[in-house]
Amino acid sequence: MRFQVQRYNPETDKLPYLKEYELNTIPTGMMLRDALLQIKAQDESFTFRHSCGEGVCGSDAMNINGSNALACLTPLSTLSQPIVVRSVPGMPIIRDLVVDMSQFYHHYRAIKPYLIVHDPMPEVELLQSPEDRDKLDGLYECILCGCCTTACPSFWWNPDKFRGPAALLQAYRFLADSRDQATNQRLQELDGPYRMFRCHTIMNCTSVCPKGLNPSAAIHKIKELMLKEMI
Amino acid sequence: MSWRAHGMRAWLLQRLSALYMLLFAISFLLYIAPNLPITYEYWSDLFTRPSIAVATLVFFAALLYHAWIGIRDIIVDYIHDTTLRFTLWVLVTLFLIGLGIWVALIVLSVVAV
Ligand code: SF4
Ligand code: SF4
Ligand code: FES
Repeated sequence: MRFQVQRYNPETDKLPYLKEYELNTIPTGMMLRDALLQIKAQDESFTFRHSCGEGVCGSDAMNINGSNALACLTPLSTLSQPIVVRSVPGMPIIRDLVVDMSQFYHHYRAIKPYLIVHDPMPEVELLQSPEDRDKLDGLYECILCGCCTTACPSFWWNPDKFRGPAALLQAYRFLADSRDQATNQRLQELDGPYRMFRCHTIMNCTSVCPKGLNPSAAIHKIKELMLKEMI
Repeated sequence: MSWRAHGMRAWLLQRLSALYMLLFAISFLLYIAPNLPITYEYWSDLFTRPSIAVATLVFFAALLYHAWIGIRDIIVDYIHDTTLRFTLWVLVTLFLIGLGIWVALIVLSVVAV
């Protein structure tokens, strides 16, 4: 099986380039992450981020044959050869497939990804009905892999100002939470030309999310909330 | 740079203007459909009616406003140099205002008061 893998060493290379690798024995059901580990065994100067190997940690997002996905959830059998593996687009490359995610986390922190409660805290937990809990389905599962945000053209053009689909999905996760009391503040912070309204419903985010989440729909729900707030 | 309508306001007004254009286009077509094929007399008589003239003027206002927001979105997406952005923005605004004045002059020149 033929691979073309992005290599970049900031000390010696001016630009990233693709390097050819060949693997001969491919067991059925092998995932791309395992293949990259074998490539690493062949050439130990190569590096990439990964950890859990089962789509939980979100650390091995990469651009595989042109679209973003998690290497550990991508079976080699679904890919046409040569398999071209690059780092996720729009992020500064640190080395090989490893990118600097600071910008991404900055936007995540900026949406205040925690419950904000103004009432005095109860003695026990903050309770929530099962129905209200259900409203968080499709939102809380996000593993912050960044596949969506780094596939979003609006994020490529304005990475410093546009929050990006991952952060906006999380913004809605807290807006939708019956226990959160900062709806107004959250909505106000997202208004304006950049933070949310750079989204033009291109839906790259939704098409690549490895957890099957729908950031585009969450963004639409935020707009609905804003509209209600306005009237 | 100041953005008089931005964020939610611009987004909403862009959709409302689209809605008006759609409704206008459909009702205008339905309105003239019984009189097809259109003669010059019918067409020029149509625009002497103040109600048609007003609806048409609102249509063009909606169209130009819709275009204004759309072009501004493109500029904000792709053009990051402040001077270039501002220059383009002023040119586009003046151009659209010019078109608006031109349209208004034409529509008002035939309407019977
Ligand atoms: S929404 Fe999906 S693609 Fe985006 S960060 Fe979360 S899990 Fe990854
Ligand atoms: S729907 Fe919005 S956030 Fe998602 S990829 Fe498109 S522009 Fe980006
Ligand atoms: S290695 Fe953890 S998500 Fe792929």
